[in-house]
Amino acid sequence: MSSNLSYVQISSCVNPSFWNKLSELKLDVYKLDVSQQRIWGYYTVINSLSCPITVMEVDSTSFNREFSAHNHLLPFQGWILNTNTIEQFKECDKAELINSEGQKLYQKIKDGDVFENTSLLNTFFVLSFADLKRFHYYYWFAFPVPRHVVVEKVHECDLENVFSLEEVETLNSAYMNLNHCQKAYFIVKKRFGKVLEVHTVASVLKTITSEDIDDYYFAFHNISYDRCAVGSIFRNYIAFILYYCDFLQNRTANFISFNLSRVGSQITCKKSIVYKLKLPTKTKDFYTSWVGWEKNERDKMGPKLANMKNTLDPSVIAENAVDLNLKLMKWNLLPSVDLEKIRKTKCLLLGAGTLGCSVARTLLGWGIREITFVDNSTVSFSNPVRQSLFTYQDSVDMKPKSKAAADNLKNIFPGVNSVGHQMTIPMPGHSVGESMLEQTKQSVEKLTQLIKEHDVIFLLLDSRESRWLPTLIASVENKILINAALGFDSYLVMRHGIHNKNYANEAARHPEGYKVIPGNNLACYFCCDVTAPGDSLKGRTLDQQCTVTRPGVSQIAGALAVELSISVLQHKHGVFAPAYYTTSQTVPTQELTVSDDSVLGLVPHSIRGFLSSFEHILPATEKYKNCVACSDLIIKEYKEKQMEFLLNVFNSSKHLEDVALLTELFKETDFGEVLEFSDEDFST
Amino acid sequence: MTSLTIEDFNRCVEDIVNISDKLMDGWKLQQNEGLENGKYIVKKEQKVLPLEQEGSTNFLLIFEYHVAFNISYGVPVLCFNVWKQDGSILTIEQFWKANKKFKDSNMHDTLTQMDHPVLRRPFLTLHPCRTHEIMEPFLERSKNPVVSWLSVVGPFVHLNLTEEYVKICSS
Ligand SMILES: [Zn+2]
Repeated sequence: MSSNLSYVQISSCVNPSFWNKLSELKLDVYKLDVSQQRIWGYYTVINSLSCPITVMEVDSTSFNREFSAHNHLLPFQGWILNTNTIEQFKECDKAELINSEGQKLYQKIKDGDVFENTSLLNTFFVLSFADLKRFHYYYWFAFPVPRHVVVEKVHECDLENVFSLEEVETLNSAYMNLNHCQKAYFIVKKRFGKVLEVHTVASVLKTITSEDIDDYYFAFHNISYDRCAVGSIFRNYIAFILYYCDFLQNRTANFISFNLSRVGSQITCKKSIVYKLKLPTKTKDFYTSWVGWEKNERDKMGPKLANMKNTLDPSVIAENAVDLNLKLMKWNLLPSVDLEKIRKTKCLLLGAGTLGCSVARTLLGWGIREITFVDNSTVSFSNPVRQSLFTYQDSVDMKPKSKAAADNLKNIFPGVNSVGHQMTIPMPGHSVGESMLEQTKQSVEKLTQLIKEHDVIFLLLDSRESRWLPTLIASVENKILINAALGFDSYLVMRHGIHNKNYANEAARHPEGYKVIPGNNLACYFCCDVTAPGDSLKGRTLDQQCTVTRPGVSQIAGALAVELSISVLQHKHGVFAPAYYTTSQTVPTQELTVSDDSVLGLVPHSIRGFLSSFEHILPATEKYKNCVACSDLIIKEYKEKQMEFLLNVFNSSKHLEDVALLTELFKETDFGEVLEFSDEDFST
Repeated sequence: MTSLTIEDFNRCVEDIVNISDKLMDGWKLQQNEGLENGKYIVKKEQKVLPLEQEGSTNFLLIFEYHVAFNISYGVPVLCFNVWKQDGSILTIEQFWKANKKFKDSNMHDTLTQMDHPVLRRPFLTLHPCRTHEIMEPFLERSKNPVVSWLSVVGPFVHLNLTEEYVKICSS
């Protein structure tokens, strides 16, 4: 009941470092050279219990001149042909390629090179195309073997049934002493009554004759896990043997399918199999017709594609690492935080100075990917030490801050989409002459457009007047607006209400002892400040263009501005998130805690900090009905008259006081009283 | 409180490599000359595991295990990368999905992604914050605390040491 020997092909396995090295060599060494390069592959000699497939691996050491030997590895020797274009990869004649590879091996058999290094019979070939921009690698492995090698299994039995225990031991230790070039194929000689000998192929193959053939066993390291099959490269061994032992055509010979396994601390070849095999007759095309292209993952004869973008592209690695950091926070601490919402949020930073830089960097930390800067100045020599996105060179180059900030942000994290607009925001009381009219109109339109396109607006400008227009537009557009302003050693970070009133009356849960203001009804920067901007009636400590600040103030305020915006974003009601506060008249009976509404805790209206005492207070204030920026009066006028109204305001801030009916109010009220009233709102 | 010194660690991993060489088990010693904790050991293993996102079919995966010394925690770390046959590396989420053991709530504390202590590249890592706790009883009792610790934590990530290694802990 004899049958033919069946073959399994070894499976290729590419380590990530192989692609990395190939890219490096392609760029620095091979360039456009498409000649074949010699490479090494290797496989593990001991069958692993956890994996029933033998793989031949390639890695970065594959390109070394010498095989990096290790006692558990055996080499494959091969070539890689890396084409310059995908067309070359597709068009090259695969049948011709493998035949010529086979011819090369045949030449080595003929020339006797194989005697020096029998592992040459373990040969492979890689056809590849590396799309370095996309980190896509098209590749196809081949393990060339002669097409027509049919070997008949005449007899098979376990090694232990053929050799004594002592002989198996001799075989084992003799094998261990072989050089790694001779371990894949070797010859065992066992004459009746004599001691078992292990020889290299080189030392005995040519001496074997038709008379003493039965004393010899052609041993080969079997790469097949399936004991019923042998590795396909076994055919190269047959081709080699038949070349030098012509008389073996159509005759039987002894073979040892060598198998190493681990039993306790022992490595043993006990599980090897001894075959009596009938070798084929050499047909005319025995050495000229070769096969061995590997099937792809769909079990088709075709190339594979390795998409290594996630593994090799440093910008993708950076992006994934940043995201993972946030995911770990979500998984470990805040399961209900919506990272996707944060990731999709578009942030507009009005001002790219100390606050703008600090806000942008903290936004990156939260995984924000869309950041737009608006600023009108250039980087000066005093800026880089306080404004964390700039370098000395930016000041030498006098780069516009908006552009420098956007560029440097990308250097810090390429995954961010950051853009800079150099632009002056039109201000109340800053008259617009004839020559500037067109540009002012354009600026208003552009600012309006930018606010519409973004989800969160950060007001980080260095003057009070410049905050007016964005405050008005953001309120009309119902955007989340976070405002930060600095004093010498104090700061204010606050969120503004919006014009939308729909939500205002929904009863928010009302913890005892607290007052509450619905998010849309919160005061804006100007509500608390009854005079129109651009009119410096009274010296202020906050928000003066020339204000000198303690250096840490902007970092603290910038960070708080971002955290406040994220808390609003993560609140169930978003911009409508209510603000709780206490006054001297109300005594809270319970601590406010994190509720379902807000995974990140409370969302205050404003945070006032004082470095002189290292204290924070969290005042909340309602909208002021006569506010020069967000009151119904102003918004109604703006909606009706648009640019005409704005130009009037730019030319005279007094116009605002008229529209907001403040002028009238001033007539009725003592000015000092108004200020006292506004001060009380800030007390806790 | 006793702890493992770098010298102890180096001796332990050298022992592992010596045993491995005899067993042909594949552990290799690597050294980065410029670093105090430059020595680490590496081993590759093939596994066949189902990957959920790809139709639950079995995939051949290569695990590359590294055991290195983390100076700030003062403990050894077991980190590894896993890749498919084409070389693409599994993300931590793909790995979790393929590993039912990590389905419980504390999987994120147990297996995380950290920079390799020597190579400074991201690797899947058994979080080192509990390592000292696990190692402490071994520090006095075991001749090779690294092996003792590895034989406890390794199985969580498919790394099983044969008993030949464990033997040296008590001899
Ligand atoms: Zn207002």
